[in-house]
Amino acid sequence: MSTVNITINGKPLTVPAGITVLEAAKLAGVEIPTLCHHPALEHVGACRLCVVEVDNQPALQPSCSYPVFEDMHVQTESERVMDMRRFVLELLFSERNHYCMFCEMSGDCELQTQAYNHGLVNWPYPAPHPRYPVDASRQYFLMDHNRCILCRRCIRACGDIVANHTIGVHSRGSRTMITADMDAPFGDSTCVECGTCLQVCPTGALVDRKSAYMGRRKDVTFASSTCSFCSVGCRTLVATRNERPLRVEGDWDGHNTGVLCIVGRFHSLDEKRNRLATPMIRKSGTLSPATWDEALDYIAKAVKASPKEKAKAWVTGKALNETLDAAISAFKDKAGVEVRSLEPLPQGGPLPNGGKMADIDQADRIFIIDVDLLADHRVMGYRIRRCREREAAIILCCDSDNSMVQYATARYPLAKLDDALKECRPDEKVFVVYRADLPAAIREKLEALKDKATLMPLYNAANLARSMSLGLKHGAEVQECQVAYVLARDLALSQEQRTSIRKSAFVVLHGCYDDAADIADVVLPAPVWFEEEGALINAEGIESPVRAAAPMPEGIRAETSVLQDLAARL
Amino acid sequence: MEKPKLATDWLADCAGCHMSLLDIDERIVALLEKATLTSSPITDLKHPPETGVELGVLSGACGNTSNVAVARMMRKRCGKLLALGDCAVFGGILSLRNGFDMKEALSRAYIESESTVDGFIPDSEELAKPIRNRPLDQVVEVDAYLPGCPPSADAIFETLVALVEGREPPVEGELLKYD
Repeated sequence: MSTVNITINGKPLTVPAGITVLEAAKLAGVEIPTLCHHPALEHVGACRLCVVEVDNQPALQPSCSYPVFEDMHVQTESERVMDMRRFVLELLFSERNHYCMFCEMSGDCELQTQAYNHGLVNWPYPAPHPRYPVDASRQYFLMDHNRCILCRRCIRACGDIVANHTIGVHSRGSRTMITADMDAPFGDSTCVECGTCLQVCPTGALVDRKSAYMGRRKDVTFASSTCSFCSVGCRTLVATRNERPLRVEGDWDGHNTGVLCIVGRFHSLDEKRNRLATPMIRKSGTLSPATWDEALDYIAKAVKASPKEKAKAWVTGKALNETLDAAISAFKDKAGVEVRSLEPLPQGGPLPNGGKMADIDQADRIFIIDVDLLADHRVMGYRIRRCREREAAIILCCDSDNSMVQYATARYPLAKLDDALKECRPDEKVFVVYRADLPAAIREKLEALKDKATLMPLYNAANLARSMSLGLKHGAEVQECQVAYVLARDLALSQEQRTSIRKSAFVVLHGCYDDAADIADVVLPAPVWFEEEGALINAEGIESPVRAAAPMPEGIRAETSVLQDLAARL
Repeated sequence: MEKPKLATDWLADCAGCHMSLLDIDERIVALLEKATLTSSPITDLKHPPETGVELGVLSGACGNTSNVAVARMMRKRCGKLLALGDCAVFGGILSLRNGFDMKEALSRAYIESESTVDGFIPDSEELAKPIRNRPLDQVVEVDAYLPGCPPSADAIFETLVALVEGREPPVEGELLKYD
């Protein structure tokens, strides 16, 4: 690695060649203020706050994008530089309407922080105060153009990180405006509300509706957890205050690199169904509240009264590792009752896996085999379509409609998978993402790729990888039994599933919401996703922690505790 | 030598800045040992003497012609003028009104608002006329600024004492905020 010798504020340094002055300053422990810069985004030099003096050049240079060269001398805090930084801030405040006293971001706003750091006590340039629009057309977050500083972080996030390319700018100079598509309201545009722009916005221009005015970052706690709404298993940070979860942020350190989708970020906290609060037993046709002891005794009695093969437990693939283990321990080990998966599972041996999200960034050729990524595993879709910029080959193999069609460089029907695979050139880095429950014949072809490619199976539910490794089976439908114990968590059972389950003589529903309670003889309430502790297996096949962001309400018990208690009675 | 004289007044204002001033509690004794308070909106004398004062403090924005007249009067009578609070420094919350047509705003306030019956827009000659809301320094020259909504009692005390003693007010760190 070649290096160059430079000085920063008189201090000599040897740094890698080709890095920026900002990166070199960081190595030297010198702080340079920035606004448009973000560690996850390419630099643009838009805000000019990071300017420095280089070798007494007449113009100051933006340190975020200026590369180091041999024998360069940088001043980061000379009078010229400090005057210019104050001027930049004064100009930013002279445009648009930056009123901190009613802004929900005050206290966490990067513009405000820089103004405080530079001792700004007034705005020397009178602001003309035209009123800028507020775009509240999206469901979960809004954009207030009055607070926008045109740093372009949202544009870069939308384009470079999730490759949705919705956001741009129109017009020039002081008329420049952030815009969606061809100046459409965001709610009518190609925006998918993944919220990546929201997460990177430095000011109060982008505001999350649910958590607005609910507290500053120093007032909230963050639970480091894993999303359970699809099998990608993105790492999340759940912001909570006074035991109430406020919003979900993407963890930059996770394999999802800070990205989430509308489901994990917003739908997860937008639950409209009614919560089950207490165990209930159906007596004379109506469900009435019961104690845990009464309910569990009643269930145990029914299970013991039934011939073993006529009783079954169904567990959703959304359940945590610990819950699956406890279900097997209680039903299969203790009572000899079969435990099955509510969702379809591939049968047969372990699936070819081991692929990492980071492999996608390096891949020359990517196969997407029979998964509808932008519908069911969005973050994976975003990660892969980014590769179009690098001109990677994205080969889509599927028979039905697929949301990735417009991003694929070639398309093959499943029957022609061999032809698609033949296109691989030697020395190409190949990444394969595939539907886990593909027919065995196709899976065998993927097995053959194990030396040449990294492979990642995607399942229909967050933790089906675990269900599968525990050997759970799935029938064509939930079969008619004498006793059916259904652990559904927050899954919304389909009409077919409900009809099917109801055919059983005695039904126990162990879940969070009351939408399916009408089919149950006994109802057991479960904690919601942000109240549980445990782990899930993510798309990389790695155990990913789930941490509670809020305590369970009085009367709700952890699923493992309930299952252990039931086991004791079986 | 006589103590310097200090006068305060308020313009288009919620009175929060003066409440925060009162929050200096017993430190008002220390302040009054250094300066004489000639007048304020919350004491019996409302206006500084025509002979003038050394330090004038104005809170609130200029939202109507009366505010402008008071601001000009204070500028004339005060050696140094301090803009106190976000409204005086930046224009403040009132500036939200600037985004709307004045007729629309008046109509909404005096006629259309849900709790109004038989409303009308007052037009007595004695009333000031509303204008586009602006911070103090777009109307008169300002010598010192203390932002905050309101500025903390500590910030107000430190600033007043510094100005009365002829120093630069230490508006930085914990004392500098815009909300």
